[in-house]
Amino acid sequence: MRSSKFGIRVAAGTLALTVSCGALAVTDEDILNDARTTEDVVTYGMGLSGQRFSPLDHLTTDNVRYLQPVWAFSFGNEKMRGQEAQPLVKDGVMYVSASYSRVYAIDARTGEERWQYDARLPDGIMPCCDVVNRGVALYGDKVIFGTLDAKLVALNRDTGKPMWIKKVADYQAGYAITAAPMIVKGKVITGVSGGEFGIVGKVEAYDANTGEKLWTRPTVEGHMGYVYRDGKAIENGISGGQAGRTWPGDMWKNGGAATWLGGTYDADTDTLFFGTGNPAPWNSHLRPGDNLFSSSRLAIDPDDGSIKWHFQTTPHDGWDYDGVNELIAFDLNENGRTVKAAATADRNGFFYVLNRENGAFIRGFPFVDTITWAKGLDPDTGRPIYAEGGRPGDPSKSSGGKGETVLAQPAFLGGKNWMPMAYNPGTGLFYVPSNEWAMDIWNEPVSYKKGAAFLGAGFTIRPANDDYIGVLRAMDPTTGREVWRYENTAPLWGGVMTTAGNLVFTGTPEGYLKAFDARTGKELYRFNTGSGVVGSPITWEMDGEQYVSVLSGWGGAVPLWGGEVAKVVKHFNQGGMVWTFKLPRDRIASN
Amino acid sequence: MKAMTLVLTLLLAWGQARAETTGDGNALLNRPSDRTYDVILASGYLKVGVYRDFPPYSYEVDGEPRGIDVALGKRLAEGLGVEFRVHWITPDENLGDDLRNNVWKGHYLDRQRLADVMLRVPYDTEYAYLRDATGEYINEQVVLFGPYQQETWQIAYDPDQLAEVDSVAVFQYHPIGVEIDTLPDFYLSSGLGGRLRDQVRHYRNVRAAFAAMARGEVSGVMGMRAEIDHELNWPGHARFRAADTGFPGIVRQRWDVGLAIKHTHRQLGYALEGVIDHLVRSGALAALFAAEGLRYSVPQYYRAFLAPDALARAQGQR
Repeated sequence: MRSSKFGIRVAAGTLALTVSCGALAVTDEDILNDARTTEDVVTYGMGLSGQRFSPLDHLTTDNVRYLQPVWAFSFGNEKMRGQEAQPLVKDGVMYVSASYSRVYAIDARTGEERWQYDARLPDGIMPCCDVVNRGVALYGDKVIFGTLDAKLVALNRDTGKPMWIKKVADYQAGYAITAAPMIVKGKVITGVSGGEFGIVGKVEAYDANTGEKLWTRPTVEGHMGYVYRDGKAIENGISGGQAGRTWPGDMWKNGGAATWLGGTYDADTDTLFFGTGNPAPWNSHLRPGDNLFSSSRLAIDPDDGSIKWHFQTTPHDGWDYDGVNELIAFDLNENGRTVKAAATADRNGFFYVLNRENGAFIRGFPFVDTITWAKGLDPDTGRPIYAEGGRPGDPSKSSGGKGETVLAQPAFLGGKNWMPMAYNPGTGLFYVPSNEWAMDIWNEPVSYKKGAAFLGAGFTIRPANDDYIGVLRAMDPTTGREVWRYENTAPLWGGVMTTAGNLVFTGTPEGYLKAFDARTGKELYRFNTGSGVVGSPITWEMDGEQYVSVLSGWGGAVPLWGGEVAKVVKHFNQGGMVWTFKLPRDRIASN
Repeated sequence: MKAMTLVLTLLLAWGQARAETTGDGNALLNRPSDRTYDVILASGYLKVGVYRDFPPYSYEVDGEPRGIDVALGKRLAEGLGVEFRVHWITPDENLGDDLRNNVWKGHYLDRQRLADVMLRVPYDTEYAYLRDATGEYINEQVVLFGPYQQETWQIAYDPDQLAEVDSVAVFQYHPIGVEIDTLPDFYLSSGLGGRLRDQVRHYRNVRAAFAAMARGEVSGVMGMRAEIDHELNWPGHARFRAADTGFPGIVRQRWDVGLAIKHTHRQLGYALEGVIDHLVRSGALAALFAAEGLRYSVPQYYRAFLAPDALARAQGQR
């Protein structure tokens, strides 16, 4: 016993020495293998494909109830609001971002802070989409993240000092970055967030070592993509071939389609998958046409940004159904045959299974209880079959009155919003954090903007049921069947993780980190972290033990909207912490 | 080394204080001080909220605030016997957001930054008493008062491209510039059954739309009357003309513009109301507009009760 304890001390001492001399470089191989290596988490999504599955099985359905916190870390300051990040862990150090573009390096064993970096945000900045940050990327000796003023910042992993800072877009024009960047083959890949008008989404690649821009790909039809060589921009084809095919007038110039949630990568087909936001302007009657590539998934070549294929979930969107939700590559077992598939649960309430080699539609089905705006999906193409009267009215047709109120379900916050789902290859199920809510939309006859009369829409969002909004669902991608569900009073707004120990982890706005049986949905564990959990949990192995970490800090988009939903969430307190858990040693099964 | 750091910190803090309008909040609590009427008088200044980069109402020239609303703000401060300080407002998606960010709550990125009074706030009792879906008053945190101008829509055109413009219908065949995401944008993109839609060109603001007209990209520009008048006054735009069109189908053809304060600061509101009422009735506001070469209309609010000669004085006609 004694000697083994001594042995651990020596090991820890050696490691500390290594760290003090400079952390070990994070390589492309580390990143590509992240889903399989259990000792670190070096990518957002716990693997570039974003399955959020860990092969770790120390924690099981039998022992998870003994999970105990080992340390908690406070982000400090008054800058609370939503903590939506997923931490990364490498060589005993946790790297995590917090609201207001802050980054922390924390000793993963003790919870002690190593350094903190606060991005200095310009005065008068008006980010469109709250002040959240969803995480960092690691590469070499760098921690890379995006800021609310739309910059990429690379910090030294040991010191937290900036190594390069690059402007990705103009914050004064309404751009921001809140998503975690992704590293693919030495390139930092990022999208942009943007306000509701006047912007054009894009995906860009930067050299992770130098910050030099390598290519840019606009996500609206008609805009030219570029690759950069020796400081020169070389034309690389217009997105969608030419302008004006699916947009009227010059509206393609400001078409929206922001890439605000980042993307995933499939090494198998060497493809980036990025989702795009809703088209601008919000009034769909002004822009007849499909409005490509808004509310779509794009398959992009990581080498030069070319679009390989696209799949539009909501053509001619009129409900604010962003198409940004993550597209997760997985191997689908279809009649005994393995299909290279990918799946996504859209804001619009439908779950899509696509062929990830060519974007072909395999199947789609609702993952929420009620969808009012569409009667279903075309079985061949996956295109929605619009329901009559399901589209919000044209405000310019209202002659001063409120006009007809249109009920739309899901509400604009979506059947599923930004919070990532997880896929467990063992159970073959997707675990989808979803919400059951509806909205009423009407033309607002009295509306003003910047000192002038305006045509606005009024809306209110409300729960679809009396006793719950959030539903964590286990969905079978081969049948569309809901295998189990867990209902939560408040809307679910945090990411999901699943493990080989047959567990599903997620958090709730009520403050709980919860664990469920991946096969039955039975709740096996809960721990209240003191504020709402809207971040994404991770798990990793350190010193032979399995750890779980999650951020706590209520916020995000839900509390920004009023109506009936506000009554459910308004008493939740803000926060800003990292909680880390493990099993006491004597509780680990000795088999 | 420590002293050096301190100096640097002080320099940085000073730089920040200068870049922001006025740091009069409680630094420790990160809250705005409650600038009631007495506090404003004691502090010796009035923070006047006006929109940034919004000619001819409020904009910057060589670091100095300029424009009609800035001139009015100076008169308001003068009326209270205090100094004028500008509070620039970056517009959000709608008026409710601007009132929240600048008048009663503060933006979540900069909670201390509040204006004592905000200008160019539409004065509309229907808007002021708007209720949300649960029956609550949406604007209960602010008082909207002191209408000082009536604003309306206007088209300017290039006579080299169009002989005359007496109806918006001509823009079925000729391109017209608008500021993106404004009522002119929506009106022209959907009007006449969408027949103008393909001719609508979108720009960041009216000034950029005029620049496009000067390049021959568009034949007309639609915006607020004062914006159009201001651009027409510029020597480079001398050949452009104001059109004499109606705007069939627009529900609010004209609207009054006034002031807003936080609802707990009514004493300040009464004082400002007295100042602005005098400015309107005396014709001083009409003179401010005339000095900038802009047409002025007395608010509808006054038209309801002013006698014809009093109205003419307010309108600057005697």
